[in-house]
Amino acid sequence: MLNWFPGSLPFFEWCGRTAIGMAVRDTIWAFPFIETFHLLALASLLGSVLLINMRVFGIGMRQFSVPQLARMLDPWILVSIAVMLVSGILMAMSEPIKCYESYSFPIKMLFLGIAIVYYFTVQRKFMVSEGAPPIRGKVAATLGILLWAVVSIAGRGIPYI
Amino acid sequence: MSLLSFFQWLEATPWSITMRESEWIFPFIETVHVLALSVMLFPTALMDLRLLDLVMRRESVSKVRSQLMPWIWSGFAAMIVSGIFVLWSHPVKYYNSPFARAKAVLLVLAGVNAIVFELTAGRDAAAWDQGLTPLRVKLAGGISLLIWISVVVMGRAIAYG
Repeated sequence: MLNWFPGSLPFFEWCGRTAIGMAVRDTIWAFPFIETFHLLALASLLGSVLLINMRVFGIGMRQFSVPQLARMLDPWILVSIAVMLVSGILMAMSEPIKCYESYSFPIKMLFLGIAIVYYFTVQRKFMVSEGAPPIRGKVAATLGILLWAVVSIAGRGIPYI
Repeated sequence: MSLLSFFQWLEATPWSITMRESEWIFPFIETVHVLALSVMLFPTALMDLRLLDLVMRRESVSKVRSQLMPWIWSGFAAMIVSGIFVLWSHPVKYYNSPFARAKAVLLVLAGVNAIVFELTAGRDAAAWDQGLTPLRVKLAGGISLLIWISVVVMGRAIAYG
């Protein structure tokens, strides 16, 4: 077990005892229902990230400029992150011990934190500014795709390892 | 040969057995399927919402379409390929799953909706390309959006049903 959060077991145990955690766990179909929202928001988040960042490389929606796309898709990314956080917290609270014992969960949380900070500090400002240096733009775009891809892949890994 | 005996034969193929016995092949294929979902679903949703006049109203339908179709087709191809492997890994389970059957029906309906739209929309597309779309175009977009969300819902339900 990766013990990335020393002494955190009581917190995870407490999550499982909360009314929310128990309600999700004990309601039939609640978990898949919430997971479907998580998945739809993932599609919109990852889809937006891909459309914007691949455009930086000249791939995809070339009749729109990068800043145009970034402005157009920013609300989708913000709403998706919000939906993913709410649905993700609900799912994690319903099976906190599984998360605690999973290798994938701490990796996902770490990269999720980095990806969110990265989006608001670097990517969001960078993409809407016209005429940014192309090399820096490409590095920023690659990082943007990679960070969210790691978050998604580690997330899919939680039920398995 | 009935469909069931075909699925039973498929289940007995060496590769199907390999996929079921491996600890990581199925999660890997499933992850590819989820990542491909983002590539396909989000551009599809944007296209449908444009047909509904809900997003990118100032851009012509033909422009939005030309920009999104390569993404939609690439994502769709990746979904089909990874989906065939998912199906191949547990053929009889999916044959017996009502959710998998519903998903198959929905996929056919999505295809019919798209073909009908392709065959009929071209007639007077020039009349609404730049502005507000007529009701039947909105209907096609709305139906497509509903079908694809239902496909995701069914897909997720298969794992639990």
